[in-house]
Amino acid sequence: MPRAKRTKLRQRWLVMAGVAVVLLLAVVLLLWQTVGIARDRVWDQIQTSGQWLVGMDPSFPPFEDLDDAGRPVGFDVDLARAIAAYWGVEAQIEGLGFDGLVDAVQAGRLDSAISALPYQPERTQDVAFSDPYCEAGLVLVAPVGSSAIVSLDALAGQRLAVEWGSEGDVQARLLRRRFPDLVLLPSDTPQAALLAVAEGQADAALVDHISALQFTANDARLAISPQVIVSDPYVIVLPRRAPVLQQKVGEALQALRADGTLDALTARWFGATQD
Amino acid sequence: MPGFHVRDHVDQALPASRHHRRLLLGLLLALLGLLAVALIVLRQPSVTVGPQQTVVTVNPKMGVHTRLTDEVEEWKIKRTLEMVREMGAPWIVEYFPWAYVEPDRPGQGQWEHSDMVIRHASAQGLQVIARLGFVPQWARPKDTSPLYLEEDNYAAFGDYVYQFVQRYGADVSHIIIWNEPNLSLEWGYRPVDPASYVEMLRVAYTRAKEANPAVQVLGGALAPTLAPPGSEWGMDDLHYLQAMYDAGAAPYFDILAAHAYGGKFPPDEPAAADAINFARTELLREVMVRNGDGAKPIMITEGGWNDHPRWTRAVRPGRRIEYTLAAYDKALTDWPWLEAVALWAFHYPAPARTYQDYFTFVTPDFQPKAIYLEAQRYAQGKEN
Repeated sequence: MPRAKRTKLRQRWLVMAGVAVVLLLAVVLLLWQTVGIARDRVWDQIQTSGQWLVGMDPSFPPFEDLDDAGRPVGFDVDLARAIAAYWGVEAQIEGLGFDGLVDAVQAGRLDSAISALPYQPERTQDVAFSDPYCEAGLVLVAPVGSSAIVSLDALAGQRLAVEWGSEGDVQARLLRRRFPDLVLLPSDTPQAALLAVAEGQADAALVDHISALQFTANDARLAISPQVIVSDPYVIVLPRRAPVLQQKVGEALQALRADGTLDALTARWFGATQD
Repeated sequence: MPGFHVRDHVDQALPASRHHRRLLLGLLLALLGLLAVALIVLRQPSVTVGPQQTVVTVNPKMGVHTRLTDEVEEWKIKRTLEMVREMGAPWIVEYFPWAYVEPDRPGQGQWEHSDMVIRHASAQGLQVIARLGFVPQWARPKDTSPLYLEEDNYAAFGDYVYQFVQRYGADVSHIIIWNEPNLSLEWGYRPVDPASYVEMLRVAYTRAKEANPAVQVLGGALAPTLAPPGSEWGMDDLHYLQAMYDAGAAPYFDILAAHAYGGKFPPDEPAAADAINFARTELLREVMVRNGDGAKPIMITEGGWNDHPRWTRAVRPGRRIEYTLAAYDKALTDWPWLEAVALWAFHYPAPARTYQDYFTFVTPDFQPKAIYLEAQRYAQGKEN
């Protein structure tokens, strides 16, 4: 065989060998990935022990608190129990300081944390977050039938009550740039701001959703705007390398939303439903 | 003739290959040229310092503790300091860690970041109180914390203080030596030792004055704590200050640095030895007076209130505003011996996602909080 032809043949073999190695690596990677997804030690442990270890800081009613007997009670406690029941296991509540909850999940000391925790984009390399289960952001509250709860534009020339110094206050000051004739009425608490609306001293209030739910549950004169002005969703914190658990929590939340459990919990702890 | 043809082909091919090579060389040189231009352009400062500014305020004692140590981008450093000036606070406290300047060896001199901070602070017309500490690995035993410094290495720390003070001259009028030495964790997880701290203060003070006799040296910066005698965590700040005087501290600091956190109490809540509140600063002053040091001023270099929704030592946001403005006002009207109140903390580079976020005046993305806007109104002399 001529030398040139031999060289060409050798080159062709080398190329084919290279392609084969790359393909082999791809298959190995794919298999590793698939096996990795199928394995979830946290979920396996929950299934084996029948216990889901959930951390929370029981000092934030109505989300989590301790009753007179020292037992954890609140929206998050009931949510943890409802999710666990959906899986056929028990939720074991572990009390821990608010600031240490995410780290405890990351370190594997907890299976999950449910404690009115916000989504933290800068921690997504450390832990995973569920879909939101509760919206605690800013909403407008106004008398039933008021245009203020339908459109922000209706706020022009209105009196808007806020809790002085709060995020609602900051947003109201920004709104005043858009509507210079908007009158801000600062109050000491969100409840005082809502009372000002109920008593006709203000046309609307810009407060957190939970305060709005609690107040409107007892005062049918006021309604909450369907539009969230600034979103602050609460989520469940989960281990990053627990893909099955993450999936199961998502499924459970969907099911509890669909069968009305979440609404029932909201009504129980906040006095009204979120919708 | 075949031979002629071959020769002809080679004759034509050679100049063509030479031409390609020249073209390639030209392209390479052009690329290198472009790279050099790009490097020169990139080396130019992308953020200008801007014209000299002055702070306009009705209260010249207003201040904040900034957190620029971990702020990398220059525009963020500039924006932070601009916003401090625009709020009406003429004083900032900022940390300048020794280990950042000399990470690997003495005299290394990595001053770029601190130069940037001082340059912008000066341009904004701010007075800098520089907090010095944080020990590089080479100046402490292996596996110790950066807050661990043995007396053998006080001289090396003194050298850093000397270099710092000499480098910044009039741009840094005040320095704080160490932070909260009455807490074990701030003393390298060792039992606290007031006499040893006084020795550190003596070395640092002497070196600072050698570099610039006009620089004002702040000592103390004690953590307000009610730690019982013998506690492994720390020592009551009032006892620690007395122990400092007992160890001969008086000649080695020009001003006492105090930390004044209000907790849930207003600034006019009376001081008490068994309570931690803003007015505890008065008790520190009493210790100074008792030790014949009453002519010496105090500066609050940390302090304030927190409005976290669920921290047990926090207050509602409106209360925080009220207490903060009252504290600035108290410093101006009631405490002639107090020169500045720098409250913790103006701005964090990123959310801490802890209660600490609720000490700040500005969000990490530079949105002013209501407390910032109210402090600004106060500094402008407007009624709230």
